[in-house]
Amino acid sequence: MNLIINIIIGGLISGSTFALLAIGFSLIFGVARIVNFAHTAFYMLAAYCIYVAAQLMGLHPIWGMLAAIVLVALLGMISYKALINPIREHEGAVLIATIALAMIFQEVMSLIFTGTYLSVPALIGGYFKLLGVKVFYQQLLTFCAALLVMVVLWVLLMKTKLGLAIRSTAQDREVANLMGINEARVAMMTMGLSVGLAAFTGAIVVPLTVLEPQMWGGPLVMMMAVVVLGGLGSIKGSFIAAYILGFAEALVVFLAPMGAYLKGSVALSIMILVLLIRPEGLFGVYFEEER
Amino acid sequence: MRLIFFYLGKLFTIIKNEVLVLPSRVAVGLFFLFMLLLPLFTKDIYLLRIFTLTSIFAIFAASWDLLSGFTGQMNFGHALFFGVGAYGAALLNLHASIPPWASVPLGALCAVLAGLIIGIPCLRLRGTYLALTTLAFPIILTGLIFAFPSFTGGELGISGIVRLTQSRVGDYYTVAVLMLGLCTVMWKITDSNIGIIFHAIREDEVAVRASGVNTTRYKLLAFSLSGFFAGISGGLYAHFMRIAGPSTLDLFLSFSVVIYAIFGGVVTIYGPVGAVFVLFPLLEFLRVVQNYRTLMFAVVVLLILLYMPDGLFAWLRDKIEKECPRCKIRNIATRHTCRVCTAPLD
Amino acid sequence: MNKLGKGMIISVIVFLFAMSPWAVVSAQEIKIGVIGPMKFVQGIGQWNGATMAAEEINAKGGIQVGNKKMKIKLVQADSNEFLNVTDATNAMERLMTQDKVDLVVGGFRSEAVLAMQDIAMDHKKIFIGIGAAHPELCERVAKNYNTYKYWFRGSPFNSTYLVRTAFIHLGTVGAVMKQSLNIPMIKVAIVMEKAMWADPMIPAAQGAIPKMGMEIAGVWRPSPVATDVTAELSAIQSSGAQIIFEIFSSSVGIPFSRQAGELKIPAFQVGINVEAQKEGFWQATQGMGNYVMTSDTYARGVEYNELTKPFVDGYIKRFREVPTYTADTYTAIVYGLAPVIEQAGTLDSDKLVSILEERVYKIPAGTVKYMKNAEGKPLHDLTWGPGFTTGIATQWQDGKIMGVWPYKWKLTPESPEVTYKGVVPIKLPPWMIEKYKK
Repeated sequence: MNLIINIIIGGLISGSTFALLAIGFSLIFGVARIVNFAHTAFYMLAAYCIYVAAQLMGLHPIWGMLAAIVLVALLGMISYKALINPIREHEGAVLIATIALAMIFQEVMSLIFTGTYLSVPALIGGYFKLLGVKVFYQQLLTFCAALLVMVVLWVLLMKTKLGLAIRSTAQDREVANLMGINEARVAMMTMGLSVGLAAFTGAIVVPLTVLEPQMWGGPLVMMMAVVVLGGLGSIKGSFIAAYILGFAEALVVFLAPMGAYLKGSVALSIMILVLLIRPEGLFGVYFEEER
Repeated sequence: MRLIFFYLGKLFTIIKNEVLVLPSRVAVGLFFLFMLLLPLFTKDIYLLRIFTLTSIFAIFAASWDLLSGFTGQMNFGHALFFGVGAYGAALLNLHASIPPWASVPLGALCAVLAGLIIGIPCLRLRGTYLALTTLAFPIILTGLIFAFPSFTGGELGISGIVRLTQSRVGDYYTVAVLMLGLCTVMWKITDSNIGIIFHAIREDEVAVRASGVNTTRYKLLAFSLSGFFAGISGGLYAHFMRIAGPSTLDLFLSFSVVIYAIFGGVVTIYGPVGAVFVLFPLLEFLRVVQNYRTLMFAVVVLLILLYMPDGLFAWLRDKIEKECPRCKIRNIATRHTCRVCTAPLD
Repeated sequence: MNKLGKGMIISVIVFLFAMSPWAVVSAQEIKIGVIGPMKFVQGIGQWNGATMAAEEINAKGGIQVGNKKMKIKLVQADSNEFLNVTDATNAMERLMTQDKVDLVVGGFRSEAVLAMQDIAMDHKKIFIGIGAAHPELCERVAKNYNTYKYWFRGSPFNSTYLVRTAFIHLGTVGAVMKQSLNIPMIKVAIVMEKAMWADPMIPAAQGAIPKMGMEIAGVWRPSPVATDVTAELSAIQSSGAQIIFEIFSSSVGIPFSRQAGELKIPAFQVGINVEAQKEGFWQATQGMGNYVMTSDTYARGVEYNELTKPFVDGYIKRFREVPTYTADTYTAIVYGLAPVIEQAGTLDSDKLVSILEERVYKIPAGTVKYMKNAEGKPLHDLTWGPGFTTGIATQWQDGKIMGVWPYKWKLTPESPEVTYKGVVPIKLPPWMIEKYKK
């Protein structure tokens, strides 16, 4: 019984982290068809922002969090405008540009902070017991935040004018443009939103882990797996896929403790198996022979 | 005697009329000469090492272009082929004591097998789905390597492999000649009917299928061919470094091959090869500013892409050569009329 | 390819040539290459140790070689080996051919060190390994002496002995807990990162722990770079373990200790946690890594012999932190290479090897004697045991790293007790005392 509760809680928690990352990534892919390899690098930048604010300047972590979200979202918009927008028509070049961007961030951070492992304080410290399982408040926060972000995003996309613009651009960029939507601006806004989300994730996930300039690599792969499994550009898909992979990881850890290191490989195998049956992911739109 | 003169004359005519008229062809000729003559000017072990490794990665980058550039099947896990080739050659050499001249091609066949194994399921996927799925394969294989350390050497890899040849100059010539040969073969493939179909698949798969071509078969062919060449480069790497470790399956390696290819310009074969010959020595040269090495590398890549999104060599070629609007034959940029049909250029 | 690309390549080559210091080989200097991941703690330690050694020797005028005094010149090479093994081999080859170093120290990641070893051996240059613990590195010396004789292990001692000391630490903790908490049968959770060097430790631990009178609660193998181990920790807590026997050499040591401390898992962490050896551990775990115990090499105030204190204090004064084992580049240069060069009166590698492998000498962390394997072939590996190198164990006690072992330690019941100067007793976490004390 204890085992089942453990698995459920473990799955929900790691699923929430994946969901937060994947939703942001999905958003910009849906609107601008940009595969942003630097997505998790922005998440790393946010973590360092909080480190500077909370650890070096001695402010409350909440200020660091706010500063991180604003600064990183701005940086995201600037880099979109300056580096990605001019070459958007060249799919390959955009891919490489985002990889190069991530490398630049990583190198700059390691020049400033060296490769030393650092950490940031939790927003809410401590833990509570849930049915005999110890759970961090921070993890509860992650879980609630994932749900909240979902709701806020839903409202934003469905009830606001910006949301309408984003959705129509995602469906058909050219027609949206013809209908008087400033497509370039929508893309930039979405980039800001997506990167801001990455920063937000960094802010609530990083207090439980370690900071280092290479920390963007691991989550990047899992995030990709989630997004592909859920279907590219589908936010609902990313959300559900995140929990599927989260539960898969928890199952591996609890049922095969000797193979805990395989949790990443198992999650990726699940993704591949699902894709074999549904090449467009769980909720993806099948780009029928896009020409 | 007269026959010899006849053929010499013919060769001269070909060189004069087919090679010297286009700067890009002259450059390729010079490049061949440079690669073959380099050890005559310097026996510096370090320099030869850099050029040997550069040549190995040049084969690797060109093989990515053959698959992903030409057929448009974005492969973000190309290190899989490299790693399988390296591990295959290393295992065969170590356990069956097969010498390098056989273990490298056999390792490459293992990579072909890997290409088929991942190619068959991946045929149903396209575009970004394919790119992100292929990304996963080397990671899964790394997991397996760690799971069976007694056979694969785990994180330590397989070491104690036989040298490629007994001297550095020998290594250099083996790799350089292979690189020139294999890249020419790849270029010839892309220039043949198969290559044209590959290219057509990239542009419009439905149209190709509509004209009665079994695109599935051709895509699998692309996977196997590319896997073979990448496997060769992996095997050469293993024998040159004398170790095949998990780093040959690194995410970083998969990324860097994509960087090379797109930096140089895809769908060209010569683009990725040239890019490796620019970027790999550049990265070595940047040891002068050790701390800022990777940073400057990334900045250079980003800036070049910003101004030449089609790739460095595609851009350069456009600057020095013009295509005749009437007969589609390329001319040096200084000409005002086409060299074949005399139509006015530009 | 075309002319401009060609031009670029040629200019790159010209630059490469221009950069290579062809004719500046000075006869008055001994060039020592320091190779390592210079952007990471390990490489920084290696460089710092070497810097200190060079400064110290040069201040005395240098090393007496034959009839002239030669100063030490260090050459730094960033191997970038964590990210790119090809890079590491290029850096090594550059050291050998462009910088023309006489000796090399450093190296960390086993896969990369194996590849770099081959290059150094090709050039017949002495390579003292500071950082990599895999036994294979030294077994190569025994297998093919003529090729690999230029390799020596400088620090740490090989992983078989690392495990052995870790088991001794586990036994020590078990005895303390039995005595003070009155637990009749102690349960041990084995948590080892999934890494090659840790693999043989699992059967070893499964065999050794019952013999020590303890019970195994389970085995967990997280990934070396895992960042969230709460799932593993919940499983360990439900298994009822009182001791966590951990083997971590990578970053996972930080989140594991931090999350275990924050969740107040009632189990004592002992074993090898490389991250916990560093002073940054306290900040990295936000103080949650309190009471973590790990095998270690140096700590403030702990002395193996009379050489320890000057080295540790000097290092702290110079770099404001306690040296870790990668700073043993200092030891390798000052106590290993310098006297051997003076004795040989030459820099000829073969002569140096023949003197170095027979020499027994004191270093700040004990006494070095190079081992021979069962067949009597030289391994160039460090001898372990009381009187040679043993390492120490340290525990985080309220923000400070304290030496806690060897404290009245006997290798066998008959052997004499060993206690190093400055070692204090082990402290148990209060939440454990609260839970188990009846």
